[in-house]
Amino acid sequence: MNIFREVYQSIVRRDPLSTDKGKSELVFLNVWLHIHPAKVKKENMKFRHSFYLGFITFFLFLILVTTGIALMFYYRPFPPQSYQDMKDLQFVVFLGPFLRNMHRWAAHGMVVCVFLHMCRVFYTGSYKKPRQFNWVIGIFLLLLTLGLSFTGYLLPWDQLAYWAITVGTNIGSYAPFIGGTLREVLLGGHSVGQAALVRFYVLHVAILPSLMILLTIVHFWRVRKDGGLSRPVWKLKAPSTAGLVTIGTSADAPLVPTQAASTTKTYGLMEVVTGKPIFEQVTPEEEEDTVFSYPYAFVREAVTLMATVTTIMAMSLFLNAPLEELANPAKTPNPAKAPWYFLGLQELVSHSALLGGVVAPALMVIALLVIPYIDRNPSRRPRDRKWAIWLFTAFVVVNLVLIVVGTFFRGPGWALVPPWVHVVGRPE
Amino acid sequence: MDRRTFFKVSWGSVGVAALLSAVGVSLTAVGRYLMPTVFYEPPQAFKIGTPGDFAFGAPTFLVDEKIYVFHDRERGFAVASAVCTHLGCTVAHFQSDQKFHCPCHGSVFGADGNVQHGPAPRALDWFEVTLARDGQLRVDKNKVVPPTYRLMV
Repeated sequence: MNIFREVYQSIVRRDPLSTDKGKSELVFLNVWLHIHPAKVKKENMKFRHSFYLGFITFFLFLILVTTGIALMFYYRPFPPQSYQDMKDLQFVVFLGPFLRNMHRWAAHGMVVCVFLHMCRVFYTGSYKKPRQFNWVIGIFLLLLTLGLSFTGYLLPWDQLAYWAITVGTNIGSYAPFIGGTLREVLLGGHSVGQAALVRFYVLHVAILPSLMILLTIVHFWRVRKDGGLSRPVWKLKAPSTAGLVTIGTSADAPLVPTQAASTTKTYGLMEVVTGKPIFEQVTPEEEEDTVFSYPYAFVREAVTLMATVTTIMAMSLFLNAPLEELANPAKTPNPAKAPWYFLGLQELVSHSALLGGVVAPALMVIALLVIPYIDRNPSRRPRDRKWAIWLFTAFVVVNLVLIVVGTFFRGPGWALVPPWVHVVGRPE
Repeated sequence: MDRRTFFKVSWGSVGVAALLSAVGVSLTAVGRYLMPTVFYEPPQAFKIGTPGDFAFGAPTFLVDEKIYVFHDRERGFAVASAVCTHLGCTVAHFQSDQKFHCPCHGSVFGADGNVQHGPAPRALDWFEVTLARDGQLRVDKNKVVPPTYRLMV
């Protein structure tokens, strides 16, 4: 036998892809692909159902890991060298600005996409049984994304970084009982300094990414185990009353729902586990709707990956990540603003630090976490859940309005200044 | 309760208690490890120079110490913190209105440090200032004094 053929066959053990067996084996004999099912429902892959936001978020995370590791080669987490390293990356290092831009824009993009992904999952009701816990994991992934952004924000050690973190960590210190200690542990001191930078660096490059990877694995695993991608709402069947059979009972007896045994098929581990599997039941016509993951799902993922990388690269060619002057603890810029996704929080904090900075965000996170457990409505169809959709939309709008006000309508001294007014001189 | 159940429950409780205390001790140790034993930060009590270094009238802002040193011809020295009590931004003192303005969220403090406007929860701190033996002024940030505190030299 040809030695090359033997080597190839020792690596690739599946049948040729021209066969159905080969297409299945490509998925489940491959460590990277076997998180996919061998076959997927065609309709569930529709772009207008999920907008592929989960995939885009994951691909942005891959970009962040790759560019982040590249940036680590030139970065020292000690002030003021950190700032010099940023200047080096900006002006001396080959591809330095490009990689830093990619890291920055992918980070912003990830915050946006995680949020949009959450909105999509809410509006399609995809957090409902049996997917409740995966929603909870998703919320933790959202918090980790914000944590990674926040810790990364300090690393350039410029004015923007220094004051955003000073304000941000002071917000946390308003938490009752533990706030002050928490801030001291996070900063390794009483103010943002050398110790704080090292701690933020460790959190940013080691602890938070590890947690992120762990939870992402669980998140993906649960998608599979909770029944795969959710069914688009337009494919949901109306709760049928036509199947109710009353033959042989008196007219006022309760209706007995029946279902012919042959019309549904339940996939599960037969004879290994007992009890009813939680998987969605599949009718024969739905089964005809399924296609092999290869190539249908993989092509869509590859295209999404390429589109994501291309977009970030294009942005990085034309838009430069901001870098202000060296951090100066004596000079607070006016106005001092947190990263844009925390400006809603800062807007609340400008009214009351305890209520706006601790109580409101804590309540928001708790509300998000318990959504799948307090929403007892089993229906996923929008017309059955008007209240839920109105409430969630209000939550989204309030957050967006606060962020827009904090970003565009706050000038020096945090005074209300429309973006089209240019303020000269000092505030009164 | 029979003998078997008794031992099961009691040994089980011992096991759970041991596990919980091990976890508790470990978490406490981790927390203590993360809390620095030594802070390599500027000292809280420091000398700022001789009284003659400070002009009368507008306060002198000391950048590294984040304090304003007021020197009044009749009333003497007073030292105010330049750290906003809201979220720790550095306040600016305007000679025009004799007030402290915070650039972050718009808090305004009066000449005595009291909050006049904005989200700051309490007045600016005033620190004790004394005359050291070598004739220098000594500020102790650990000692907060009322705004009426003055040092006559």
